[in-house]
Formats: sequence, structure tokens, C-alpha cells
Amino acid sequence: MEPLGNRDDLIRRVHAALHGHGETAHRPDPRASAPGPPESIEKRIDRFSEALRSAAGTVVAGNLYSVLPALCEGLRSEGVTALLVPEGDTAARELADALMPMGPFRLASTSELLHGNSPVTAGIQSSEFAIAESGTVVSTGRSGRTLLPGLVTDVHVAIVRPGILVDRMEDVLAALAADPPRTISFITGPSRTGDIEQTLTLGAHGPRAMIAVITETST
Amino acid sequence: MEPRCHDFSRNVERALANRNLQAAISRTTGRFLEHRNAAVRSFPGDFEAAREAASRLKLATLRDLDIHLARFIDEAERRGAAVHIARDSAEARDISVRIAREEGIGLAVKSKSMATEEIGLNEALEAAGVEVVESDLGEYIIQLAGEPPSHLIAPAVHKTREEVARLFADKLGEPYTEEIPELVAIARRRLREKFLSAGMGISGANFLIAETGSIAIVSNEANARMATTLPRVHMVVASIEKVIPLMSDLPPMLRLLTRSATGQPISSYVSVLTGVRRPGDVEGPSKLHILLVDNGRSAILKGKYREMLKCIRCGACLNICPVYQTIGGHAYGWVYPGPMGSVLSPLLLGLREASALPDASSLCGACADVCPVKIPLPDLLLELRADARAQGHRTPAEVLGMKGFAAIMGRAGILEALERIGGVFSQLLFKDGKIPWLPFRLSGWTDRRDFPAPAVRPFRKVWKSKRGVLPWNR
Ligand code: SF4
Repeated sequence: MEPLGNRDDLIRRVHAALHGHGETAHRPDPRASAPGPPESIEKRIDRFSEALRSAAGTVVAGNLYSVLPALCEGLRSEGVTALLVPEGDTAARELADALMPMGPFRLASTSELLHGNSPVTAGIQSSEFAIAESGTVVSTGRSGRTLLPGLVTDVHVAIVRPGILVDRMEDVLAALAADPPRTISFITGPSRTGDIEQTLTLGAHGPRAMIAVITETST
Repeated sequence: MEPRCHDFSRNVERALANRNLQAAISRTTGRFLEHRNAAVRSFPGDFEAAREAASRLKLATLRDLDIHLARFIDEAERRGAAVHIARDSAEARDISVRIAREEGIGLAVKSKSMATEEIGLNEALEAAGVEVVESDLGEYIIQLAGEPPSHLIAPAVHKTREEVARLFADKLGEPYTEEIPELVAIARRRLREKFLSAGMGISGANFLIAETGSIAIVSNEANARMATTLPRVHMVVASIEKVIPLMSDLPPMLRLLTRSATGQPISSYVSVLTGVRRPGDVEGPSKLHILLVDNGRSAILKGKYREMLKCIRCGACLNICPVYQTIGGHAYGWVYPGPMGSVLSPLLLGLREASALPDASSLCGACADVCPVKIPLPDLLLELRADARAQGHRTPAEVLGMKGFAAIMGRAGILEALERIGGVFSQLLFKDGKIPWLPFRLSGWTDRRDFPAPAVRPFRKVWKSKRGVLPWNR
């Protein structure tokens, strides 16, 4: 469909309204500014965990097998019976395989989730970035990735490798700005609403619980 | 939405008579403020410096808005968007309807957007046979109730849980429940069906990023993510002042926006959306329409009100405003309430419609103190009052009253004489310092509260006796 309305007319109108120009159009990109002092990975994990917890998220950390009991308990307490794992996400698959006999959980399919009457499902996914400042995990739709595990499920399990932790949101955008994928999703805790009498309720449209699993994975 | 700003005094009467409304509003605004203040205290770095930087960035961007807009349009189109331009609300409605028709849309899900409220999008699409469902819980509630939003970020603050329960029972046929988690679950279930079957998702934009033609949207419920991920068409409606130059400008703006709005360091979700789905992508809309709405902004840009276009719609000025806290959002008569609405509505609708709004302020300045982009709201309100007077939107009685006031205040002798007469009256008639009743139109004041009686000893006398000199007698 051809663009409607008159673009040149708008730009002309705006131009006429301005009496001359400032200098923002060619100012240097602040991205180039110097990075802060280096930070140990432990410190970064601590900042991430604290920020995410204060946004009603849960954090479990350790090697894959040490996190399983707590994770399994968390999923059971939310009534989870099925797991959604994106195709090609080997770390998520590994975690799901280890979890399944403990639940017992079964694998859910995307189409099941998109066509109503779905079981209570946890979506497990490897995050692409995590941000220490705000306790945020980042998923994108780059190269065939799906966003559904953190969107249409009841519990969102985000796998965070320590290596993907960055300091601030700026770092993520700088890495992606050259060719941004269609979707960059910054996720901090579960879905929430306060729209009825300002009462905080989790699980508005998205997941009602969000668990970050900080673990070194094989991939 | 038809503006009813001209009915301001009647709207206020109605709001003041509604006790439920006042309880709800003072609870909400109080809580928002508490959270905001806590978030400001724990701000990483210097909050004042961040405000100053954000204000400068917005102002500098506005100064070069033509360049940034052109860049935004080019970059968005390069990545597969169709960018449409609407001069005014009517054109915006017309373009939206044509988009919906051309794309064959029967059902659209919407995430919260003030710009769509401003242009009256829902009514236009419904009239064209498109079902439009609001998906933000607050918006969903007021859509079912057939009411406009009453707060920028909490549109249903004026509704009690009982009212919501009744609404869901009557309009949706759901079993009556006053349990909030159950009410939320009902909306989640009902709206999930809509997300999965809608052909088009409609959203606003918190920021438009010129560098990449991207759209940034914040939400807590995940409805904006659903509406922009699941349907095959995405339509964005945004006004032209939402542009920021660079990706790297986004984080500092977000840090201020969410803290000022709800006190969160970041909202649960931030989506940065660029173009349409790429070859190999498994999700995302294959069509993206971006509708840029001018609707009077280019005219505002021209003159002394430019700073109003810095607004990032955080709602902090509403929460802190003693007038908003008393009358709530609906009394302002249009989509934008509170101090920001008292400036923006007259600018967008004209003073003939909305000249009463700039008067609804004691100019206490609290709004300017909290505004994360440092908009001088009280100054702009004063300017608008002056304009209203210059354009003749003042009754002869008001003009005469002000002239008289100025004449008295400008002449110390007359003022002193009047003070003396007033003092005598007070001593004789109003011993408790209150005037309980005034005649004629002045009863508008004394119907609800007493008028303070003139002091028996005027302030200037007291001052003289205590400190000796008045500045002009030095
Ligand atoms: S005027 Fe300032 S405080 Fe009010 S909504 Fe806009 S940005 Fe927020």
C-alpha cells in the first residue's frame, strides 16, 4: 500500500515553524563515550539478581544440576504441567530434558499454546543479553528466534549465561543498532497490572512468574 | 472523543459531588507519588542532572525536528514500513480506516495510546465495521463501560472493584466476583482469544527513533508485546514530537519515564520494534503502517509553547497536582488531564473550547518540580491566560474585576483605605475571621467554603510594627 498523506508537506510545515537550526543533527553519538571501570562478573551477577528480585522476579544460580530442585519446585508451585522449548535452543532443551522426569512435565507445542485451552506452561529460553543495572533479560527475533516462551506462557524461565551480562541497556542497543532485528524485547520480571484499585496483580497478559536461571551452559 | 472542556465548571461540579471518585483518585495519586519519590531517591546518579539532560535533548530535537522526522521516515521505510502522514484528526481517522479496509481487517487489538484517543480512532474504525478491542486492562474496563480514560497511565483509576465486577458480569456474562486476581484472569482469558484472532495490532509509541526508524513501547502487562507480535498487521499511531535522534538516546529517557510514572526503575517490558519481519523470522507482522499525526503540533512548534512538546506522558504532573487530586481526569473534558492537559488541550483545541483549563491552577509550581523533562508548566499556563484575555475569551465582568484589582493594588493609598474599611467590617460582623455568605455570583465561593474576612490589622501594618520599613519607603 502506498504511503498516504503528504510527507513533504509535513517536513516543510515543520521546517517553516522552526526559525533556523540547532546542532543536534550532527552531534557525536554518545555511544562512543568511554566505558566505566571494569567490574567483576560476581558483582555484576549480584546487581542483576538484586534488581530482578525487586521487580518480582526469581533468581536461581549454580550449575545445571544444582539449580534443578529449586527450579522444579518453583514450577510445580505454579501448577506447571508442560514446557515450551524453542527449536534449536540447546541449553533450554537440556534444562527441559533434565526437568521432565522430575515434574512430571511434558513438552508443549507452539500451536497448542496459540489455540486456546493450553496446559499451564513454562517457556524456557536462553537469553541473548542480560542487563545488570535493571535485572533485565533480552530476547530478540534475530535469525529465526521465537519470543513466545517469554510471552504466551504462564511461567517464563530465562537462562542467563554469565557471559551475556552487560552493565546497561546502552550496551545492548549499541550491539544491535547497526542492523536492529524486528523485535528487541527487554523483559524485567513477570507481567503485572495495577489497573484495578492500584492492586498489584501478576500475570496480566504475559507470564505470572519469571525465573532467571544463572548458569554456565554447555553451549 | 468530542471535547467537553467548555463545560469545565459543570464537569467539576459533578466530580466534586462524587465521593467514590475522590477517594479513588487520592489513593491512586498518593501511591504513584510515593513510588516516584522512592525511585528518585534511589536513582543511579544525579537525578537533577538527568532531568536537565533529558530536557535539553528533547528541546534540541524539537529545534531540528524536520531533519529528525525525515530521517525517521526514510529509515522506517527502508526497513519495510509504510509511513503515512495526517495533518489533522479527520485525516488521521480517514487514513486508518483506509489501512484497515485495504488490509481486510475485521478485528483489531489495541494497546494503550493517547494519540489514538486524541484522533478518535476507535469510533472511526467501529463505524467502518472494524471491531476494536482495547487490551490494556484499564482501557478494556473503560471501553466496556463506554467511558474515556481518567489518567494518562492508569485510565480506570476512577472505577472500584465492585464496578468492574458488575461490568464483567453484565457485559461479558462472567460470574460475579470482586476478587481482583479473578477479574484480571477473566480479562486475560477474554483478551487472549482476541490477540490470537485479530488481524491487526494497533499501538502508540513512547519514542520514535530516527537513527533506525524504530518504535519503542513500554508496558507492564505484556499487552503491547502481544498486539505487536501476534497479528499479521501492525499499525502505529504516534504524534510527530515523539522522535528522538538515536538509539542511545532511549535508555536515559526510559530511566526517567518509568520512574516518574510508576516509580519502577524500568517497566516489565520494553519493546524496540524495527520494520517488518525479515526473511527467516518466525514471528512478527509482515505489514507495518506508521501513522504520524501532526494535528496542530507544527503550529505549537512555532511559538512560545514549544516546550510543551517535550512531554513524555509520564503522568507525574497529574499525581502531584492539587487540582487533579480533587477533580480527577474526566472533569478536564478531553483526553489529556491535569497540568499537562491544561496546557496541551487549549493548544490543540483552541482557547475558544478550552480557555477554562489554564485557570484551573493555583500556579503552585509542583508540576514543574516533578516534570522529568522540566516543562515550565506554570509559565505556560500563565501565557495561556494572557492569550485567552487577548483573544477575548473572558467575560466583561472578569476583565472589569481584574482591572479594578490592578488599579487598587497599584495605589498604596487606596489599598490602605480599603484595608481599613475591611478591618472595621471584620471587627463588627465577622469576629471569627470567616465570611460564610456572599451575594450574587460570589455565592459560588461561599456555597462550599467560607471566604476569609479581611484582617483587622492588615499585614502591612503588622510588618511595619515588627520590622519597621517597607521596601518602597527605604
Ligand atoms: S508534562 Fe512533564 S510531568 Fe506532565 S506528563 Fe508530561 S512529562 Fe510527565
